Amino acid sequence: METLIDALLQGILMGLLFALVALGLNVIFGVMDIVNFAHGEFLMLGMYTAFFTSLLMGVDPLFALPASALMGVLLGLASYYWFIKYLLRGPAIAQLFGTFGLMLFLRYLAQFLFGIDYRILQKGILIGKSFSVGPFIFDATKIAAGALSLVAFAAVYSFLNKTKTGKALQATALNKEAASYMGIKTDKMNAIAWAIGGGTVGVAGGLLINFYYVYPTVGLLFVMIAFACVALGGFGSIKGVFFAGLLVGILEMMFPVFGQLVGSDFLGPHFKFTVVYLAYFIIVVFRPQGLFGWKK
Amino acid sequence: MEKVKDALDFTDFSGVERFVLVVFSIFLLAFPWLGAGSFVKAVMIQFLLFSLFGMGWNTIGGYGGQVELGKAQYVGIGAYTVSVSMVWWNIPFWISMPIGVLIALGYSFMIGYPLFRLKGHYFAIATICTSLVLQDIFTNWKLVGAAKGIELPIHEHPDFLYMQFKSDTYYYYFIMVLFYIALFYMNWFRKSKLGYQLRMIKDDEEAAESLGIDIRWCKIKAYSIASAFVAVGGGFMAVYNLYIDPVSVMDLDLSIKIALMAMLGGAASLWGPIIGAAFLVPLDRFLGSWLGGHKGLIGVDFMIYAALIMVVSAYQPRGIWGIVEQLRGKGK
Repeated sequence: METLIDALLQGILMGLLFALVALGLNVIFGVMDIVNFAHGEFLMLGMYTAFFTSLLMGVDPLFALPASALMGVLLGLASYYWFIKYLLRGPAIAQLFGTFGLMLFLRYLAQFLFGIDYRILQKGILIGKSFSVGPFIFDATKIAAGALSLVAFAAVYSFLNKTKTGKALQATALNKEAASYMGIKTDKMNAIAWAIGGGTVGVAGGLLINFYYVYPTVGLLFVMIAFACVALGGFGSIKGVFFAGLLVGILEMMFPVFGQLVGSDFLGPHFKFTVVYLAYFIIVVFRPQGLFGWKK
Repeated sequence: MEKVKDALDFTDFSGVERFVLVVFSIFLLAFPWLGAGSFVKAVMIQFLLFSLFGMGWNTIGGYGGQVELGKAQYVGIGAYTVSVSMVWWNIPFWISMPIGVLIALGYSFMIGYPLFRLKGHYFAIATICTSLVLQDIFTNWKLVGAAKGIELPIHEHPDFLYMQFKSDTYYYYFIMVLFYIALFYMNWFRKSKLGYQLRMIKDDEEAAESLGIDIRWCKIKAYSIASAFVAVGGGFMAVYNLYIDPVSVMDLDLSIKIALMAMLGGAASLWGPIIGAAFLVPLDRFLGSWLGGHKGLIGVDFMIYAALIMVVSAYQPRGIWGIVEQLRGKGK
């Protein structure tokens, strides 16, 4: 029982981070109807940024977070203005392949620049520290990652719902033409969506580097998780993606524990992400609008 | 008989195209005697293999317009069926390969039925998911070697029953024959009822539905045809490499390459996948081997590769063949 509760709590912490990763993907999807395959690579570059900022400048990884965020925003804007804009003229298939090309490009650029080694930060205020509450032990880094993800998520959420720009973004997501008749510039909204998408995932990368290895292909796993979250929460739904992130995080942590309890090899930890992929497949087939979705 | 005639009928292509096809065929036939080294021969085999994959993908991805990014799972099914039945029961290639194709067909119907409830992005991601699930299962399935993969037992060379040869020339001619069967089949396919239905679906699904076309069934059929093609290629990979593991036959990169070559060459045209493979396979191999020698340049080949995809998808989504047709249209 204790292991189950422990897995549940760990899952919630990871889930908050997953939700932040998926948020950016979903904002871009909602506003532009484009699936950004390069999203995981944005995360990877955010991780590298925090890694090298902290290593070379001797800053604590937590304070390298603004650098990661800035990197993400710049990456998002550069991708949009230099590349995605041109994709919009073509058919949907070209857009898919285009962002796929971007993903490969960034991945191998990272491989070229940083090599294929797995890197992890050894030093930091929180790294290696943990504290216990009753029978449960928490890593300080994971607590910080979960809490800060929640803060970042709340910030974006209130930006989208409280500010004029945020509302304009939502209007564009609902109906591009109608919004542009009201004087909302679609091009500008698209750029903002990419900046938000890149920025949030950059922050997520900066948080993740505190307790996770970074290597050039780390993005694929997280982008698949993000796809599952987005499908589960509903394409375009911000509230949905939050709960979906939590659910996926819990699922991913609980699954191996279930396997242990049942004693089955086929439910082992190797399959924890297989479950995520399967979940995506089943959700989109049987409930394409997701749990909270409004976009079809 | 009608069908065979249709398959061999290339008269609706222009004279230049037919001329190029003939010259190209003569080149393919004569290639092993041109004195190319073993590396170049291996590249040619890869080129023919990926053309075969690409032509298969073209049915659903090109003519049908569905972004299919999970073809590697069927390569895996073909390759694993051949390998496992050879290792466990000593079954010859000529029996295990058709079985592999049948399994791929059955599996594709099973997956295709729920899969084609989806469209666009949802569909594309779902195909990746199904492929990753199968790869995860094979990576952890101890009975079939898990992540270590399977080595095929070596037979005395040359063995036509188990398709094992020392010389690449045999493999070359074998894959060439498969390539021509695929080419003739595709030539028939593009003029078949299903081919026209698929193009209609690609242009306008609602209009196609109003004309009484069963959209989902058409897509499933095309998907299964593509899977069968790819499974044949997978079987070939098993006997050619004599070793398979989940990464080499089921990885996402393989799915992407298959779709990419067809798309880069020009989807929904007969020549597209061949042009794409002729362009990308040598690029991949030569660049890879050249840059592999320089230690500081890891990944540069893939960066060039990726930049190419980005440029093509931004400026000419119809691929190289689209550019050729555009140039011709201007010349007229």
